[in-house]
Order: sequence, then structure tokens, then C-alpha cells
Amino acid sequence: MTPATPGPAASPKPQYTPGETPERHFSDDELVWTDEEKEQIATYRAQYPTNDGAVMKGLWLAQRKFGWLPPEGMRLVADTLEIPYAKVYGVATFYTMYFKEKKGQFVLDVCTCFSCQVCGGYDILHYLEESLGVKAGMTTPDGLFTIQEAECLGACGSAPMLQVTNGPYVHNLTEEKVDAMLDTLRSASASGGLAPGGGGFALPFESVTLPQDEDEMQGNRRSDAEAVTTYRTPPTAEHVH
Amino acid sequence: MADTLLTGESKAGDWRSYERVILPPVKDLHQIDVYEQNGGYSALKAVVRDGKFDPKGLTDEVKASGLRGRGGAGFSTGLKWSFMPPVDPEKPRYLACNGDESEPGTFKDRQIFEYNPHLMIEGIALACYAMTIKTCYLYIRGEYWEYVDHVQKAVNDAYAKGYLGKNILGTDFSTDLVVQAGAGAYICGEETSLLNSVEGKRAYPRIKPPFPAQKGLWSMPTTINNVETLADVPLIVNRGASWFAGIGSEKHPGPVLYGISGHVNRPGVYEYPTGMKITDLLEVAGGARGGKKIKAVIPGGSSTPPLRWETAVDCTMDAETLREAGSSMGTAGLAFLDETVDMVSWTRRIAHFYHHESCGQCTPCRDGTGWMEKLLARIDSGEGYTRDLDLLLDLCDQMEGRTVCALADAAAWPVRWGIKRFRDEFEAKCKATSFQGADLATAGDGASGTPALVDGDKTLTPGGTP
Ligand SMILES: Cc1cc2nc3c(=O)[nH]c(=O)nc-3n(C[C@H](O)[C@H](O)[C@H](O)COP(=O)(O)O)c2cc1C
Ligand code: SF4
Ligand code: FES
Repeated sequence: MTPATPGPAASPKPQYTPGETPERHFSDDELVWTDEEKEQIATYRAQYPTNDGAVMKGLWLAQRKFGWLPPEGMRLVADTLEIPYAKVYGVATFYTMYFKEKKGQFVLDVCTCFSCQVCGGYDILHYLEESLGVKAGMTTPDGLFTIQEAECLGACGSAPMLQVTNGPYVHNLTEEKVDAMLDTLRSASASGGLAPGGGGFALPFESVTLPQDEDEMQGNRRSDAEAVTTYRTPPTAEHVH
Repeated sequence: MADTLLTGESKAGDWRSYERVILPPVKDLHQIDVYEQNGGYSALKAVVRDGKFDPKGLTDEVKASGLRGRGGAGFSTGLKWSFMPPVDPEKPRYLACNGDESEPGTFKDRQIFEYNPHLMIEGIALACYAMTIKTCYLYIRGEYWEYVDHVQKAVNDAYAKGYLGKNILGTDFSTDLVVQAGAGAYICGEETSLLNSVEGKRAYPRIKPPFPAQKGLWSMPTTINNVETLADVPLIVNRGASWFAGIGSEKHPGPVLYGISGHVNRPGVYEYPTGMKITDLLEVAGGARGGKKIKAVIPGGSSTPPLRWETAVDCTMDAETLREAGSSMGTAGLAFLDETVDMVSWTRRIAHFYHHESCGQCTPCRDGTGWMEKLLARIDSGEGYTRDLDLLLDLCDQMEGRTVCALADAAAWPVRWGIKRFRDEFEAKCKATSFQGADLATAGDGASGTPALVDGDKTLTPGGTP
């Protein structure tokens, strides 16, 4: 649907952005901050000499609350910080971690950047695509998983790896580990109680990239899977997005 | 050449008995009381409370230590601090601590966040003291959510103990530390882009000059330093500039966190002096995986040109030596690639990264990175012609040094040097050009098949912007 262009008499608060349908995703009742969130925002504002400074934190707060950033969510941030909607929209669209569209309950960001690439990152991506029956960039029909191809996530020492919904990292991936992870996430979803913006599920926090300590510290920083030794999938045209 | 640095001799001295100082093997060092029990915050006390140095004295001490930025550019930290204009009580001044760490192949700052955040916090407080700064913004990439929370806890503890905030340690020196999470844009690591991001704008890099020391955050004097750089400062205060200057390579001294990834048995972050031989680092990382042969080394993150193994064996990890070898120190995030790697596919993946991350302000970068990826994809899938290689090198010429920030250069270097040093592999994937004379392969710069840096060929300006 082609969005209408707001004319001079249009509402000063358009509820949609170009390319979006003007329908609302959240009602006015949902678009309010809790007292705790208001306090958070006040803290953010105090940290910067201008209100603009707090915009990234405000967007993060909104995304954690709503699970993604619909136009009316950005509008809420703009109104709260008393800055133009266009500015907030501009910031939200610059960064990839702000979700401008609704994604699956779990977003699996598989790193395929070069260190992961040479350690089988594409193998993991393809395995996930086969397991879930969707390609990178797509969401499973049950709305549970979105697969994305990610750039280096700063965990190259435990390649291949992925990140779950802007949250925990899963390192040293193997096909078995991917299966186990999917099981954990499925049962977390089935048991309910997941926060909209991710979180509320238990994946162990792993720190695995300091092997100098293995001996002195009883291996508590050891990686837990054998390294992949063969590089199978070249990044050919159909896979690099 | 008589005065070559590529002698194959280690500049790291007796590195086998090196004792770690940035990430010492102390359990739970991230907790403030454990940190204090191990001498933590003694540098801050000595300087701020006991007057070991005045601000200028501290800057001079850091200058004397020879500390060079660990964020990629390798610029002298003390010198950078001294660029701050004289204090004007009317004007706020800022420090920005760069923990964006998005350069592919780099994962060292994360270890500081996780295992020794207070060392960085102490360094930040000291840097603020040296430059009379009242606010520091610590920018951590958004993907590191777990570390953002973890660092925020450490910051709260430091506030509670009076190491940050108003009247630090009962003196009239005050400074605030604000932690900010990014949201997934590589370009935010570029210093002026980081400033825009902190200000709450789209993170476009700014044209320099004016430099941040003149007009930084909110047009006020600002200094930007990497996390690891600032973590070195308390060590310099405690042990003295000459101790620091005596570690590792003479012109690029100090301890450094080497993030080793790729085809090695024990990838991870290793702390050693600068000037380590690349072969020694391969050894500490457990050697090549599966007994294969290493073919190429990327010494410091994706933007540093790849080295052929034959060159790398004579190389040590310090700015001067790597420059002579035709690469740069970058972030000291080394990647080892073994003989199974297809260098064309590898270069193509890097090109994809830069195309994805270009902010789009400058035409040579926005369009150039896209063309680069397209050309490499064509060659990679066997559809390219040998003349495409020359086209790529020409494209590199059109990108380097013509843009607002150094991302375009960073994108061009691995492609240029990938082609120059692994031309055989590229040519093997290309179809022959269909008409005579279209190949420039025998002509001058860029098109020759010579793998090593040709004398006088100084197109390379590694290291990003100071
Ligand atoms: C495209 C680009 C990306 C960069 N990314 C980072 C980064 O992620 N982390 C970092 O510390 N420096 C990064 N830098 C270097 C910074 O611009 C700056 O030089 C550095 O943070 C200064 O700190 P230092 O002097 O302590 O090294 C980047 C530079 C460029 C051109
Ligand atoms: S060089 Fe690229 S990333 Fe840097 S400002 Fe220009 S377009 Fe943006
Ligand atoms: S390349 Fe995958 S985490 Fe760095």
C-alpha cells in the first residue's frame, strides 16, 4: 500500500513512516511509560547536556518494552524527550540493532564475518536455514525464529558463533550445539514469561576467549567445544546478502 | 637492505616469562574489593589525593612512557592529551572512551570489560584528571549487552566508593562516567562518528579539521581514547614510564592484548609485550589447526592488509616493522588463515562487510565499496575476467584518501593487497580477457604480480586517522 503524503493540514503526529502502512500496532493504553521507566528516562536526560543525547537510550528502552520499534514507539520516545520525531526516526533507522519491523521471538544473528567465515560460520548459517526451513532474513511461520546474517560480533576467538536477540552469545557452534540451543529456546517460549524485547530465557553466559588462564584457573574460561577443522561452505553469491 | 626491521628477531625480549598486568590471573578481579586488594585504585589515590603528579605532569609521564593508542591508529597518547586547549572554566570538556570494537577480527576490549573493568575506570579517572575533564562517555558496542550491564555495575561500585563522581577521594576533583550502548553500526568506532552517536545523531563521521580537541562533543574540546589505551594509564602511574617504555618494541612499547582467531588450536586473547614475532604468537595459540600450513596472516583486524606467510615469519608485532612489511598493527587482532582458505572468497567477504557498514556520506566510499563487492562476487563465482583485477585496483586508487573518514581506505587496503599478494589465486578464478591488450598485468603499479611491497611503492598509509 502506498502511504499517503501528509498535507499541510495533516495531523502533526503522523502515525506511520514512509513505506509503512499507517495502521497502529499498539494502542494508546499500551503507549505509556511505567513509573520505573519514567525514572530511567529522567536519569538518561540528566546524563547529557541536551535531550538529543538520551535518544539512543530512550530507543533501547522502547525496544525492550515493545519488542521492536513501531512508528508510534519512536513517536513516544520523541514526545517524551521533547525532540522532533524526524530526529528520532533518523537515529532509529541508522542502526541495525533497532528493529524497525516486527521480528521473530528469537532473532538469531549468525556471524559470518571473516574469522567466523573461515571457521565454518556459513556451515552454521546453512544448518540453521535447513533446520528452520527459512532463509537468512526471514522469520519462521510460527513467529518463533528470525535468522539474520551478522557482521563481526567481537567474539572471533570462539568462532563460529551467534547472538540471540541482541543478547547472549552462543560460542563455538557445532550442529549439535545449534540443536540444543533451539530446544532450549523452544521450551523457554512454550513455558511463557518471555520479555517482549528478548530476555527472560536462560542461555548460559559463556566467557571463552582467554585461554592464557586455562591452567591457573582450572579451566573456567575454557571453550567448551572442539574447533571445527574443515572449511566447507564458500560464501557464494546465493548466501552473501 | 641493511637497515631492515624484518630480521625475524623478536623485540619482545624474554616474553616466555612475561607476567600479565592488564589481565592478570586473579580470580574475580572484576569485583571492586578484589581489585582493591590487588593494588587497585592506588594510582588514582597517588595522583589525585597524594599529588604524585599534577595534570601536566601526568600527561608528560604518559608521553614519556611511549604509550601509543590501541584503537588502531597507534597515535601517541600523551601527545594527543597535550592537544587539549588550556582550561577555560566557561567551557565543558569531554573524554570519550571508545569501546565500540567492531573491527572484524578484534575482540580484546571485551576481555577488559569482563575481567578487569576497574583498571579501565581508574584509567578514565586519571585521564580526566590529566586533562581537567568533568565528564567521560564510555561507548560500548550494542551487541555487548552483557558487558554493558557488567561495566555499569562496576561503575556504580566505583561511584559508591568515591572513585568517581563528586569530590573524588575527598579532593576537589570531580568527574562523571556515563556508559552508553551503541546499536550496531561499525562506523561508530570512528572517533568523530562516535561523537555524533553520543550526541544522539545519526553517526556520520565529521570532516577534520576541526579536530575533536578543538571541537568535539557539543563543539567542546574532547579527547577520544580506546579502552585498552586508558587501561594502560594506571599501570604507567604505578610502575613508572620507564618500566612501560622498557617492555617490548622500543618505538611501540608496552603490554598489548593480542586477539588471535582463525585456524589455530587455541584462539583467544593473549597478553604479551609488543614486538612479538608472529610465529611466536602462532605457537602460543597452539599452532595451526589440523596440522595444516598457514597461508596468510591478518595482523590487526580486517582493514590491515593481509601478509603472506613467507613475509609474516620475519615480522614482529609493532607499528614500524609491520609498516615495512606492508601492513599495520591496527588493533592487534590477528587472524591466521590456512591453506584451505580461498583468498578470493575471503576478500569478497571483507568487501561485503565494508559495503554493509559504509555510512553513505561520501560517493567514493558508498559506491566504491558496492562496486568492489560486485566485482569480487563476479570473480569469486568464476564469471570475472582478468581485467577486473586491474579495475579493482583502479577502484582502490579512487577510494583511498578521498573521503571524510578512513573507512574507505580500510575497505580498499585488504582488496588492494589481497590482489597484489595473492594474485595467482585471483587470476586462477578469472576467465582470460577476451581481446588482446586488455590486460594491464605487466604494466606499472598495482598490476604487477609481485607479492611483496615494491620499493618506493608507498601508496599504503596504514593505521587510520590519528
Ligand atoms: C572506520 C573506523 C573504525 C574504527 N573503529 C574503532 C573501534 O571500533 N574502536 C576503537 O577503539 N577505535 C576505532 N577506530 C579508531 C578511532 O577513530 C580512534 O583513532 C581511536 O579510538 C583513538 O583511540 P586511541 O588513540 O586510544 O587508539 C576506528 C577508526 C576508523 C576509521
Ligand atoms: S568514508 Fe565511508 S564511512 Fe567514512 S564518512 Fe565517507 S561514506 Fe561514511
Ligand atoms: S568474525 Fe565472527 S565474531 Fe568476529
